Amino acid sequence: MTHNEIQSLVFAALELTNQSREDDAQVPIASDTPLFGKQGHLDSMGLVGLLIDIEDMLQDQDIHISLSDERAMSAANSPFKNVSTLVAHIDTLLKGE
Amino acid sequence: MHHILVTGASRGLGLSMVEHLLDQGNIVLGCSRGKSPFSHKNYHHFEADVSNEEQVNDLFIKIRKSFKYIDVLINNAGVARMNAFALTPFKNMRETIDVNYAGTFMCCQKAISLLRKSTNPRIINMSTVAVPMNLEGEAAYAASKSAVESLTRVLAKELSSFSITCNAIGPSPIATDLIRGVGEEKIARLVKQQAIPKMAQPEDVLNLIDFFVKPESHMITGQIIYLGGIS
Repeated sequence: MTHNEIQSLVFAALELTNQSREDDAQVPIASDTPLFGKQGHLDSMGLVGLLIDIEDMLQDQDIHISLSDERAMSAANSPFKNVSTLVAHIDTLLKGE
Repeated sequence: MHHILVTGASRGLGLSMVEHLLDQGNIVLGCSRGKSPFSHKNYHHFEADVSNEEQVNDLFIKIRKSFKYIDVLINNAGVARMNAFALTPFKNMRETIDVNYAGTFMCCQKAISLLRKSTNPRIINMSTVAVPMNLEGEAAYAASKSAVESLTRVLAKELSSFSITCNAIGPSPIATDLIRGVGEEKIARLVKQQAIPKMAQPEDVLNLIDFFVKPESHMITGQIIYLGGIS
């Protein structure tokens, strides 16, 4: 998958997330959107839901990877800090698959 | 009609669950380490060892491909080896923890995305009265099930945002393969300590499964219900 394809997939998953959120709690669909941690739009369960949706979408393409990461809760190094770090994280995982 | 996954489905209590759930018109997916002697048009068997991460991954990939979602996960697969603590081989303890706790842990984790697609998602774990009774000779077994109880309570909280309820059933002694190695006298002594001093039947467990599964039980989560009046 190319970087752009991964980003499109993350955007699609965020749109799914937004469907179950109130109008005033919508997550902006952009590469610099903070996701988790400082100024993040998602709480821990919101993040879990997003990651499950992304894993699901990848499985639809017969790609079976786990996005969980020990650094998830560490604000400084978290791959879930914003959309672009998440895209980079998925890219790394796919290259190592 | 639900899609229901039962682990440890090929014999004993698991097989009773499969037959009962099929009688209700559900599509039942079962797994066990070997083949199942059972066949039914709505029963689909998978060979998987729940203590093996790779096999659990494969199991859920296959289920996802064929059935898209599940409504209920029943973590019934379990092993029980009674032995004095001082004489319990480390290997047996490890196997007990791996199947009873790690197996339940992995199946719950892998099932989340399939359960999220259900309108009435449920996880039902299996514990035992050996936990509250702190039974001698069951150090590894009771500890593994105690871990299952903690897991059940934590998942009840973590998965509530997905509307998934997570509860556990703690059967008192039932005549199944699991307790075949336990002496009759010991079982009789155990049963005597219950508020209802009778051996339980598989139907008593099935009744609790029906209770947890029904839509009206959507507010019941994180509960461990023991048979026989043990608390």
